[in-house]
Amino acid sequence: MKDILIVARRECGAYFQTPIAWIFIALQIAILSFFFFLYSPFFIIESADMRVWFGLMPFTLMVFAPAVTMRLWSEELRTGSTEVLLSLPVKVVNLVIGKWLASVVVLLASVICSLGIPATISYLAASPIDWGPIIGGYIGTVLAGMMFLALGCWVSALSRNQVVSLLVGVTAGIVLVLALSPDFASFISGTNETLARIVESLGVQSHFRSIERGVLAISDVVYFLSGSCFFLALTVFQVELKKQ
Amino acid sequence: MSEESSGALANNAPPASPRTTVIEASQLSRSFGETKAAQDVSFEVRRGEILGFLGPNGAGKSTTLRMITGLIAADRGSAKICGIDVATHPIEAKKKFGYLPESIPLYEEMEVIDYLRFIGSARGIAKAVLEKSIDRISKRLGLLPMLRRRCGTLSKGFRQRVGLAQALIHNPEVVILDEPTNGLDPRQIIEVRSLIRELATDCAVIFSTHILQEIAAICTRIIVIHSGHLIADGTPDELAGDSSEDWQVVTSGSGVDPEQCPGLQLAPGVEGSTGETVHRWLGESAPDLGDLSIQIYRSGSRLLHVGRSRESLEQVYLRLTGGERVQA
Repeated sequence: MKDILIVARRECGAYFQTPIAWIFIALQIAILSFFFFLYSPFFIIESADMRVWFGLMPFTLMVFAPAVTMRLWSEELRTGSTEVLLSLPVKVVNLVIGKWLASVVVLLASVICSLGIPATISYLAASPIDWGPIIGGYIGTVLAGMMFLALGCWVSALSRNQVVSLLVGVTAGIVLVLALSPDFASFISGTNETLARIVESLGVQSHFRSIERGVLAISDVVYFLSGSCFFLALTVFQVELKKQ
Repeated sequence: MSEESSGALANNAPPASPRTTVIEASQLSRSFGETKAAQDVSFEVRRGEILGFLGPNGAGKSTTLRMITGLIAADRGSAKICGIDVATHPIEAKKKFGYLPESIPLYEEMEVIDYLRFIGSARGIAKAVLEKSIDRISKRLGLLPMLRRRCGTLSKGFRQRVGLAQALIHNPEVVILDEPTNGLDPRQIIEVRSLIRELATDCAVIFSTHILQEIAAICTRIIVIHSGHLIADGTPDELAGDSSEDWQVVTSGSGVDPEQCPGLQLAPGVEGSTGETVHRWLGESAPDLGDLSIQIYRSGSRLLHVGRSRESLEQVYLRLTGGERVQA
């Protein structure tokens, strides 16, 4: 555990001592706010909720998560610093979790920075707002974000080129969010019901939507946590593979 | 992972005596596709030794060092550091050595002191001890004025020193350095050599280079690697000693035709500073100076020197590696 925290602290330093993390956080909140306030019916329907904000979350995560993680392993592989890192008496699994944890800290910082939005809505709302879906939305954001960041970690370990890592990460995110979407599942359900069910259960949106509504089902939590573990395991395998 | 929590293997290991074997490489082999980077490389290193890994670029030096450090797995064979198998107990083995890779990779955005703190913490040095260790190694390497500088702003020489500092911060029993003087200026090279000599009083140092001066200046033992094979292992004197009875004939210009003087062989690839060609007489008896002077006269060359001479390290190297040139 101590090793994980040592690695995570170093990576957090790399994120927050440089503008990287702050740029990601500012961009994510700016883009979400732009669509939330200007392109959604937020002011028209006069409803004090954040459904649109959280509805956009899987789409922003599929782009921003790989952008945050693309440097984690790619940069180390490019500069050769993995040689020093892997010569330290630290297990590869602890290195991988430590790096991933640092990217989760960036996500949490982004979530904390966005708390001003629900606070403002609550302050301006004529009647008390329903906090259930908002809290659910934030839990869903963190859970989905953890999985996307784990996916990004793995993709980052595949290539020493950060741009390649970003593009492959975004493509994999598109598959999880758009290709395995409920809309696509209903489209193919007429021809193959079983495949449609598999597509829906593997996709991010179906699990995210129920949490976003304020329903915290065990199956959805297990989906995101097991997805995170799966991609972290792939990262460990990929880093170990470099020795072969 | 604290010093106290070091594994059973490390804690139970007997204290090393001054001449204990600290590295045992046994038949290390590694291929990359069709290329055999190292084949059956076996050697031992004892505490107090400075072992030079010599060989041309691409000979398999770095591959062998990386197998010893566990950075890449060996296809065959084993490597033990202080009796601990690198493949089966990598974490325990990694506590025993410090490693400086060839490219000196540092985290550019980190201050030197934070980088050394990170490495020290990851190596399990307790917080109270770590600051003293950083202070000790910084003084030794002249890094004190640079501790608050970002690694990305350091000159090549200071980057090398920071790389050395991270390799030495935990007082390792084995120090493995891959081309440690690469890119340094002459003054820095002398400093690094002096440091390596100092280190060898407490531990074993193994370093790779393709620079012969390096080997001659500091090594107590030399291993020559060529095309993935270990082709020589001994002290500089032992390696040169094989040919101490040789006769050497030095002529200017193109020199004599070896076919006209049976027994006289051209030393491969050796050229003097003024362009003379060096011929070496192989055998215990002296060359027939009568025949030789006629041949030299006929070829239009000039006799510069005739005598028995030990081979230089460069000549030994060229003989062993079949004439491949090195940086001397």
